[in-house]
Amino acid sequence: MTIFRNCEGITRRNCLQLGLGGLVGAGLAPLLRGRALADVGIERQQQADACILVWLDGGPTHYETFDPKPEAPVEIRGEFGTTPTAVPGTHFSEHMVNLAGIFDKYSLIRSIRHDQGNHGAGNHYMMTGAPPRIPVGCGAFVSFHPSLGSVVAKEVGAPDGLPPYFSMPSMSRSGGPNFLGANYAPFVVSNDPNRNGFRVRDVALPDGVLHDRFNRRRELRSQLDQLPRWEDSAVGDPSVTADEFYVQGYQLMESAQAQAAFRVETEEASLRDRYGRNSFGQRALLARRLVEAGVPFVTLYEGGWDHHTNIFDAISKRIPPLESTIATLIQDLEDRGRLERTLVLVLGEFGRTPKVNDRGGRDHWSNAMSVMMAGGGTPGGQVVGATDRQGYSAVERVLSPERFVSTIYAKLGIDPGKIYITPDGRPVHLVSDDRPIEELMA
Amino acid sequence: MLFRRVYSLPFLFLAISAFGVGNGTEGWGTELVSFELDVQPILTARGCNQGACHGKQRGQNGFQLSLLGFDSDFDFRALTRQSRGRRISLATPMNSLLLKKATGETPHGGGKILDASGQDYQTLLTWIDQGVPRNRPDEPKIVGVHVVPDDLVLQVGESTQLDVRVNYSDGTSRQVTPTAAYQSNDQPIAKVSEQGLVTAGSLPGETAIMVRYLQEIAVCHVLIPHQNPLSSDLFSKMKSDNVIDHLVWEKLKRLQVAPSRMATDEKFLRRAYADVIGRLPTAQEARRFLESTEDNRREQLVDRLLESPDYAEHWANKWVDLLRPNPYRVGIKAVLNYDQWIRQQFRENRPYDVFIRDLLTAQGSTWDNGPVTFYRDRRSPDELTTMVSRLFLGVRLECAKCHHHPFERWAQDDFYSFAAFFSELGRKGTGLSPPISGGEEMFFDDKVKPVRHPLTEAVMEPKFLYGAAANLGEDSDRTLREKLADWLVSGENPYFAQVQVNRIWADLMGRGLVEPVDDLRVTNPASNQPLLEELARQFVESGFDQKTIIRSILLSEVYRLSSTPTPSNRTDYRNYSRHYRKRLRAEVLLDSLEQISGRELSWRGVPPGAAAKEIWTHRVTSIFLDTFGRPNPNQDPPCERVEALTMTQTLHLMNSPELLQLVTKDGGSADRFSQSDQSDREIIDEIYLAIYSRFPTIQERGVAVAFMAGLPEQRRQAIEDLMWALMNTPEFVFLD
Repeated sequence: MTIFRNCEGITRRNCLQLGLGGLVGAGLAPLLRGRALADVGIERQQQADACILVWLDGGPTHYETFDPKPEAPVEIRGEFGTTPTAVPGTHFSEHMVNLAGIFDKYSLIRSIRHDQGNHGAGNHYMMTGAPPRIPVGCGAFVSFHPSLGSVVAKEVGAPDGLPPYFSMPSMSRSGGPNFLGANYAPFVVSNDPNRNGFRVRDVALPDGVLHDRFNRRRELRSQLDQLPRWEDSAVGDPSVTADEFYVQGYQLMESAQAQAAFRVETEEASLRDRYGRNSFGQRALLARRLVEAGVPFVTLYEGGWDHHTNIFDAISKRIPPLESTIATLIQDLEDRGRLERTLVLVLGEFGRTPKVNDRGGRDHWSNAMSVMMAGGGTPGGQVVGATDRQGYSAVERVLSPERFVSTIYAKLGIDPGKIYITPDGRPVHLVSDDRPIEELMA
Repeated sequence: MLFRRVYSLPFLFLAISAFGVGNGTEGWGTELVSFELDVQPILTARGCNQGACHGKQRGQNGFQLSLLGFDSDFDFRALTRQSRGRRISLATPMNSLLLKKATGETPHGGGKILDASGQDYQTLLTWIDQGVPRNRPDEPKIVGVHVVPDDLVLQVGESTQLDVRVNYSDGTSRQVTPTAAYQSNDQPIAKVSEQGLVTAGSLPGETAIMVRYLQEIAVCHVLIPHQNPLSSDLFSKMKSDNVIDHLVWEKLKRLQVAPSRMATDEKFLRRAYADVIGRLPTAQEARRFLESTEDNRREQLVDRLLESPDYAEHWANKWVDLLRPNPYRVGIKAVLNYDQWIRQQFRENRPYDVFIRDLLTAQGSTWDNGPVTFYRDRRSPDELTTMVSRLFLGVRLECAKCHHHPFERWAQDDFYSFAAFFSELGRKGTGLSPPISGGEEMFFDDKVKPVRHPLTEAVMEPKFLYGAAANLGEDSDRTLREKLADWLVSGENPYFAQVQVNRIWADLMGRGLVEPVDDLRVTNPASNQPLLEELARQFVESGFDQKTIIRSILLSEVYRLSSTPTPSNRTDYRNYSRHYRKRLRAEVLLDSLEQISGRELSWRGVPPGAAAKEIWTHRVTSIFLDTFGRPNPNQDPPCERVEALTMTQTLHLMNSPELLQLVTKDGGSADRFSQSDQSDREIIDEIYLAIYSRFPTIQERGVAVAFMAGLPEQRRQAIEDLMWALMNTPEFVFLD
C-alpha cells in the first residue's frame, strides 16, 4: 500500500480504506464510498522525501541542551550557563553554540511528555509511536510495533538497488520491523566511515577478491546454476524471488551511483572537517550522501547519553562535537537545496531529572524532553510548547510521542492513521493518535 | 515460503462488514422488536461494531459499542442511555441520531449505511417507536446457527446460495441469510457475496466460508475439484501402505489433483539430513547413501539420523525458539539453565507429554532447575494463560483477555478461569532487575492468590477450557498446576497432540496442515483433518514419541514427492501434491557452510566445536545468523522466524568477508583439495557432494573441469571459485 504518496490529493481516510477495500474485496465497497464522501476536504501533502534520525540513546538531558533553566536554583539549573540563539529571546545551554546560531532553520519541541521512564520502554515509545504492550525493563531491546524506519522502508521504498533503511553503526533498540517482516529491517553499516579504507559491509567485494575474479565466479555461477525455476506464479517458488534479489544485489554492487553514495572519501576535505573527523561526523556525512542517492530513512545511533553520574563533565566533552556536526548537516543540506525535502530529527528516549543527584548526574525523566526537528517543511526558529519554570514537566502544549511520530509520517506522505493487518490477523493502527503536530507542518 | 501466512487470519477481522440489505428477514410479525434478537444483528451486519468503527476501544467519536456485539448490556446502554440519551428520540423516533447518522442525513464518519426505505431502517424505527424494548417477554435465546449446505463441491465458476438458519431455545428457528455475515478464507478459490452466494473461482482447490450471526459461527467447506478428471486408476496404482499416503491420496482424489512424480534419492537424502538433523550430509555421507543399492537404504538412513546427536540439538533448537526468554530480562544464568534443560529433553528423547508436564509443574530455583525460568519470564497468570494455551493447545486465547474471541467461543470468563490455574504459583527471591537480572528466584505452589475478572472483579475458579471439569476439588493433594498438566496431556484433549504433530508436519513438509501452526479452530480448518487426527493418534499411541512421527512422515511417499509441478497441481499449496521448496534455516545453513569449508567456527560463550544450532542465547554475536534470521527474544512474539530470502542475505553470501575467510582459510577444504593428488574431476565430485548432496551431471562436470583447466596456476583459487559459485545458487540455499 504505497499508493498514498503517489496519489496527490487523496484523503487520509480514503487511503486507509483503499487498503481495507483491497483486502476485503467488494464487501466493504459501499461503506467506503460513503465515508470518502463524508471526508472530502481532509488533504495532506507530502513534505519530505527522506528522514535522518539522530538517536541519542540513553536519554539526553534537556537542561544541558535545548531547555536550560537559568533562573532555577543551582541544584536544578546545573553548572552551565546559556547561549543566545538566532531567535531573540530563546536560549540554549552554553555548549550548543552552533545549533543556537542556526535556530532560524529548525523547530524545537520542548513539551513532549510520556510515561515510560526506562530505556527499553522509552526507546520503544519514541521510535515506534506505540508504548510497549507489557512492562519492559531498562535494558530491554524490545519490539512490539514497527519502527519509523521500517514503516518508511515499506511505504516509501528504495531507489535502484539501495536498501531503503539504514542504521549506523548498529541497529537501534526498537528500530526493527516487527510484523512488517525482515525485508524492512535496517541495513546496518557497522563500519566506521572515519577510518581510512572505509567500506560498507557486503555491498562491495571483500578484500582479496578482485573484480576480474568476481566476474569469473559470477560467470561460473551462471553456468552451474541448474535448479529449475517454476516461473508460474501460482506455484509460489521462492527461488524465483531469490533470482530477483541476486539481480538487485548485483545492481547495488555495480551501480556506480549506489557505490558512490558510500564513498565519503570523495567529499572535499574541508567539508569532511566541518562535519567532524570522528565517527559520528563522518556518519552524518554518509547519511547525507545516502539521502541524496534516494534512501528514505537513515538512523544515526549514538549511544552513551545516560548520564547518571558526572553529567557536566561528560556533556562538555560530548556536546560540542555532536552539535557542531548536526549544525553542519543542516547547513550542508540547505546549501545543497535538500533541506526543504529532508527531515532531520534529534532526540532520545526521554529527558533527565531536574535535581542533580549526589553523584553529579541526572536520572531518567519522561515528564519533559526536548526534540529537534529540521527540514521537510518544518518552520524555522519555532519553539513548540514549554516546560515549567524549573523544567519539571511539559506544561504548555503537552504532546505525546504518538503525535510526534504521526508528524513524521505525515511529512513523509504516509498516512499515520492507516491500519496494518498483522500476520495474526489483528488490525493495528500505525499510530493510535494520528494527528500531526500542526505547528510543524508547513 | 511465500504462501506461509498469507491465507491465514488476516481477512477475518475485516469480514464483519457491510453485509445484508435487510429485506426478507422472517420475524415475529408485529410483535415487539427485541434489542438482542432484532436490533443487534443489524448493527453487526452493518459493521457498526467492527474494530475499525465503534467497536474499537474508546469507540469512534464518543460512541462505543462492544467489539462485534458480544456485550448486549453494554451496547443497549450505549444506544439508549449514554450521551444523555440523545442517540434515541422517543418523542420523534425519526429524529433519533441513530437513524439520522446511519442514513447519512446527519454527517457520519462511516457514511450512509442504511436506506430509509429498507427493512432494517423500519425495524430500528419500530424499535424506537415501541420505546426501545430490551427484550420480548419470554424471549428465546439463540442456541445455534446452521448453514446449508456445510460441505460443498463446486465446479470452476459455479455458484450456490447458502441458507443460514438460527435456532432458538423455544424450538423456533428463522432464516437469517440476508443479515448473516460471510467470509471466505481464500477468495481466489471461492468468493462469497454479502447475500451468501458462493462462487467458485477459476482455480481448483478448497477453502472454508465462515458464516457469522451475532456470536454464533458456522462453517461451510467448499471444494472445487480439478476440471479435467484424472484417469480413474491413477490413485489405485499408487503405493499407500503408509496411512499418511492413503489420506493424502484420498484428498487429492477428491480434488482430482495428480501428485508430482517421486523425487530422486539425492533430493530425499538432502531433505532428510536438513529436516531431521539440521545440516546437509558430508560428501562421504552423501556418497555412502547414493551408492547404496539396498532396498531399505532409506529406512536405514532415517533410523541412523534419528539416533544422531545432531537430531537432539536441531529439534531442541526449534523448542528453544518457542520458549527462550530474553536474557536481559530474566538473566543469563536462568536462560542457560533453561536452554540446557530443554536440550536434555531431546537428548534423552523424553516423551512430549512428560516434557510439557515437567515444564508446567516445575518448582525450585532458577539457578539449578532450568524449567522454572518459564515462570520467571511469564510472571502473571494472564501472561501464562496466553502462552500455555497457544503453545500447547493451539488456542489463541489471548483475544479473550480483553474481549470475546471474534471467531471462537472463548469469552473473557474462559480466559480468566484458565488463568486461575496459575493462582497458586508462589515465588521468592530476587525478581527481575534488567538488564542483568542476575538474582536467584524460587518458584513453588503456595496459597491461592485469587485471579479476578477485569470487569466484574469476580474471583475466578479454575476451569478447563473444555471436557470434564470433574475431580478438581476432590483431589486436594494435587496442585492446580498439576491438575492443569494432567488435563492438558490427557486423552480428553485432542488439541495437545494435534498442535505438536502439526508443528512437526509443517517443519518437514514446508506447510502446516493448519496455518498458522498454533491456531487450531473451527473457522481455520486443517487442509486434511483426517490426516491431522491420524498423526495425533500415532503420536499418542507411541507414547508421545516424536521420533515415531518423524519416521512415519519421512518414509511416506508423500515426503518423497518432487517439487516439479504438474499442470494439475501447480496451484496446490496445501494438499502436499508436490514438495514445497523452502529456504534452509539460518543455523542449518551456517552449520552446513562450516562443514563444507572444512574449518571450524567458534563463538564466544559456547564450547569449542559446538554447532550454530547449539548457541543458547541471542547475545552470542553472529552476523550470519542475524542476517538469515534467528528469533530475537527481544521481539514480541519472540519466535518469529524469517523464512523468506532477502537481498541482504544474498549480498551476505556473495560478499561477506567472514564467509570468504571460512572458504579460503589455510587448512580448509579448498586448501586441502588443491594440495591433494586427486584429479580435478574427483575434486569436483567431492565439492558437488558436499554442497549439493549429489554428483554433478556430465554437462556440469564438463563446465567445472574446463574452468579448472583454465586456471592451472591457480588451482586453489579455482576450487574456491567453484565452491563460491555453488554456494551462491538457490540449489544450495533452498531445500528442493
